Amino acid sequence: MTPPLGESIAVDEALVILKVLFLVLLYLFIWRIVRTASKDVRLPQESFILRPGEAEAAGLSQPSAIQTGKLTVLKSPALEPGTTYELDSTPLTIGRGGQNDVPIEQDEFASARHARFEPRRDGVWVQDRGSTNGTFVNGAQLERPRRLAPGDVVRVGETDLRYDR
Amino acid sequence: MRALSARNRELLNLLVVGMLTGLGFASVYIARSEIVSPESLTYAAFFLLVYLVAHVVARLTVPYADPYLLPLAGFLTAIGLTEIYRLNPDDAFRQGLWVVLGVALFSAALVALRSDYRRLESYKYVIGFGALVLLALPAFPVIGREIRGAQLWVEIGPLQFQPGEFAKILLIVFLAGYLREKREVLAQGRLKDFGPLLLIWGGAMAVLVQTNDLGSGLLYFGIFLGMLYVATARLVFVMGGMALFLAGSAFVYRIIPRVEDRVTIWLDPWPHAQDEGYQLVQSLFAIAFGGFGGTGLGKGTFTTSDGTNLIPDLNTDFIYAALAHELGLVGIAAVLLVYMLFAMRGFRVAMLAQDGFSKLLAAGLTFGFALQTFIIVGGVVRLIPLTGITLPFVSYGGSSLLANFVLLAGLLLVSNRALAPRD
Repeated sequence: MTPPLGESIAVDEALVILKVLFLVLLYLFIWRIVRTASKDVRLPQESFILRPGEAEAAGLSQPSAIQTGKLTVLKSPALEPGTTYELDSTPLTIGRGGQNDVPIEQDEFASARHARFEPRRDGVWVQDRGSTNGTFVNGAQLERPRRLAPGDVVRVGETDLRYDR
Repeated sequence: MRALSARNRELLNLLVVGMLTGLGFASVYIARSEIVSPESLTYAAFFLLVYLVAHVVARLTVPYADPYLLPLAGFLTAIGLTEIYRLNPDDAFRQGLWVVLGVALFSAALVALRSDYRRLESYKYVIGFGALVLLALPAFPVIGREIRGAQLWVEIGPLQFQPGEFAKILLIVFLAGYLREKREVLAQGRLKDFGPLLLIWGGAMAVLVQTNDLGSGLLYFGIFLGMLYVATARLVFVMGGMALFLAGSAFVYRIIPRVEDRVTIWLDPWPHAQDEGYQLVQSLFAIAFGGFGGTGLGKGTFTTSDGTNLIPDLNTDFIYAALAHELGLVGIAAVLLVYMLFAMRGFRVAMLAQDGFSKLLAAGLTFGFALQTFIIVGGVVRLIPLTGITLPFVSYGGSSLLANFVLLAGLLLVSNRALAPRD
């Protein structure tokens, strides 16, 4: 069972090195996951507890607890002014690509995947999706997702949309 | 960083887990080279390969699912396999086979339910009935088997398994569907609506009496209370449920000597160090001996000089003590952090999920996982009375491992649906 003395020392050293490597790597692994998780932008600021009176929120139908509203076209080379789009529980995307919920092919200043409206519990948020010309709210370019107030005008390419409750 | 897709991040983390497994096995190999063979190092490579298969299946079926759950589970399985291997290479070989079966079951679950797991909701009563049947199986005369005083096993031919582990998953699916449907009524808190609550309380107590095991009863009832709270947000139900459970436990404490033993040992194990409390006392010594840095993987002392085991059930119920002994406080804290991260990711899945069934399912699966970890770790470190349940993903045992792989598949399915782009 007992190896020769010299060999035993080398073995002990090797084991200490392995132990330290193992622990350092393990804590790096944990730290990486904690760090990436904290940078998670898509996490909504809400609880997963289903509260009484939020019946629809629990069902498969549209959750009423999520703020909704509508978007009205003010001017656009692609859409008829006055057209409205209902914002329900699911996010709504706009852009030149046909895969968008609101496709605006004729708007030459819009990008294929331009912007996204996301109804959440704390309001309707608009987010630029890396468009070339940017998304503007009341004339100010979006740097990060922004919560819309009723009456805000969102510009995508040359299309202006007004948000109302 | 943003450019990395979820699955690529998962792959990266799995490779880190693979390296950790390699380091662990190398350490065990060097420390015990006179006992184990060099071929054992292929375990690490083989293990990584199995998890890469799971990763590829996830890539094909649930591309948007949470990228950390699989690597975290992978790490837990790896550290468990390493420790089991260190304790008994033959057990590790069997556990390795169970990991392969687990990944197969995991893949099957992902493939079968990838389009929409929510159709399970329509079968909730069938699933709930299935859970009851599984729970009752060990009580049947021919196939039921009692191991060390707990009636938790079923034996069919050469095959032994613990149906309770699978009953847990089915129970969570049933409760997710049932509570989703009934939560409005339950939240109003009228007395007649408490029927189901009392029924499940009775069920948990019956399981407890029948199996002679406090741990499973506590686990099932805890899962139920946790999910009831998620469904209704009424803290008073949880309080009431806990009071009922305590009352029931006090009764059981009086009539079942085994439970009474456990509580006595929990309160003061030292007078019983040579008889009923032997296992727990030895485990406490083992943890204490590990100290801050541990003895190092493979260097711990778990047998007396004549080769008998100091702690019975070391690779199942008491594997936490073995890990604490060899990894020390630094290492075992990291293992507990991994459990916490898994729970954190799971609850995040519940937060992101769009509908009630998914939220309840993810929250229930995560809570069950976390509670089970708490019950067994708490028991081993003498925070609560000791009960014999497994440490998820780590303990030696096929039923537990398979059930936990199904649980993992469930969380990945829910998170895939929640995170899939809807545009």
